[in-house]
Amino acid sequence: MSNYKIQSSKFDIWTLDFDIRKMLILGIETSCDETAAALVAGGREILSSVVATQLDLHSRYGGVVPEIAARRHAELIGYVIDQAIVSAGRTLGDVEAVAVTARQGLVGCLLVGAAAAKTLSYARRIPLVGIHHIEGHVFANLLSNPTLPVPHVCLTVSGGHTMLLLVEAPCRYRVLGVTLDDAAGEAFDKVAKFLGLGFPGGPAIEKAAREGNGRAFRFPRPLLRAGNLDFSFSGLKTAVINAVRPLMTGGKPLPVADIAASFQEAAVEVLVSKTLRVALETGVKAVSVTGGVSANRRLRQAFTQACQNKGLEAFFPDLSLCTDNGAMVAAAGYARLNRGEVAGLDLDVVPSALMEL
Amino acid sequence: MKVLGLDTSSYANAIGVVDDGRVLADFTYEARTDSLQKIVTNIDAVLSETGLALDDIDGFGIGLGPGSWTGIRVGVTVGKMLAYSTGKPACGVTSLEALAYDAREVAETVCTVISAGARDAVYAALFQTGEGGLSRVGDYYVGDVAGLARLGGRGAVYVSAWPPLGEKLAEALGAGPDYKIINGVPRGGTIALLSAARLALGQPDDALALAPLYLKESTARAMQAGIIK
Ligand SMILES: [Zn+2]
Repeated sequence: MSNYKIQSSKFDIWTLDFDIRKMLILGIETSCDETAAALVAGGREILSSVVATQLDLHSRYGGVVPEIAARRHAELIGYVIDQAIVSAGRTLGDVEAVAVTARQGLVGCLLVGAAAAKTLSYARRIPLVGIHHIEGHVFANLLSNPTLPVPHVCLTVSGGHTMLLLVEAPCRYRVLGVTLDDAAGEAFDKVAKFLGLGFPGGPAIEKAAREGNGRAFRFPRPLLRAGNLDFSFSGLKTAVINAVRPLMTGGKPLPVADIAASFQEAAVEVLVSKTLRVALETGVKAVSVTGGVSANRRLRQAFTQACQNKGLEAFFPDLSLCTDNGAMVAAAGYARLNRGEVAGLDLDVVPSALMEL
Repeated sequence: MKVLGLDTSSYANAIGVVDDGRVLADFTYEARTDSLQKIVTNIDAVLSETGLALDDIDGFGIGLGPGSWTGIRVGVTVGKMLAYSTGKPACGVTSLEALAYDAREVAETVCTVISAGARDAVYAALFQTGEGGLSRVGDYYVGDVAGLARLGGRGAVYVSAWPPLGEKLAEALGAGPDYKIINGVPRGGTIALLSAARLALGQPDDALALAPLYLKESTARAMQAGIIK
């Protein structure tokens, strides 16, 4: 067989027949353990958002198992995309572009979403755009808060990431700090697992902490006094486990609520104080917090309070947009397409990718 | 009826187009780590080579594996979304069946083998290739190369979808005129032919429900179920 000439189809989105202001974008997200798709009009209006969560599959392992997650994505992807279109009352023919999380995540998981997205782009002749997962989280906040000013400082905290960004303009970011080891949400998961509170750890810790005293234990605040803006949550998790272990031998019931509350206070204090410090240094007027951990009520309360004290505004996404979803990917895709950025059909996935500036 | 077939279960990826039993294109290329990057542009290239547009295709044949877990997820996802996007039917075909079909003139019983990606692990099955069409004999085999000798039996013809595997197999079987080893890969044209036959009988699969054939639990699942410690 002779070698075929490989053609890479590129779309010039300006020659396509639609109005970008109303453009209907399908957003696909499979970077971790949620199979998600959504239809968003004009980068703002969410017509549908379908999230097939795999929590039940991973809970028994106390964390996301990559191979199990990838298998589930491959089973569900078509149904989730179809459901996003049908529940919006539209047909596949109405979809004008497809955006997909292609950077940062579990490689086997990213592959499924990207394969689906590029096939749709090819078969329907609609533009394709690949999104960095963290940029998606930034846009979850923009979707929920149309008045969120730019520039602002954005903290993304979830089971997979802890990242502090300066959002200079839509699609222009400066990375200020990242976690040096575990993500914040990962520390919540591990402490919850240790305390026997179940998975995911964020909601479990929050619930247990409600009955507890956040000052009962004085856990360390890793890197709080360090000059940089990086985070370390592995040390905090270890400190909790080391402090709790001796208490487990006496036969007395463990003060689970106090431990959960004290751990939560330590994590929240580190996140709030570093974010606030950089917000004041850069002179922005607003702070946004996104990602799964941003659903934590204590975290929201602490951020709101601290921002008020310093004359800043605090923004959080709607609860439905905190965890991974397709709407945030579609919204980010709209912004990228608006800048004329279109991916080729040879789009590849990058499991650990830097945020582009 | 024009059918496009694709397979990404082996070290080679494959795309083929058939029209009423005639193979119009059958393109195989190495794609060990860049399956995702190449698959859609290569589908487009194969179609342009045949002078057909995607809309001219009446159905899709999708290689389900077994084989590389990551690889088959790419092919199955692309295949099901092609069917979904075009509103055309699809059929799933196993990689071992495709290998057996290509060896149907070599022997009446063939043992097809595909690499499971780790060390000596393989997936295999025994097929009858006679007049009545292709039929699998017994269950799928999941295990090491050495165990294949028992599966194939004396006088067996093995079809191996990974050349180094063929060499290991020859080593495991030892010297003797008893067996024959052929190298092959699951071909897009073959997947398309086998699918076309089933589509002609009005037996498509539910495209969105198609899932890779792994044959093996993931390690975590197996640990959970107590299958491995
Ligand atoms: Zn996320």
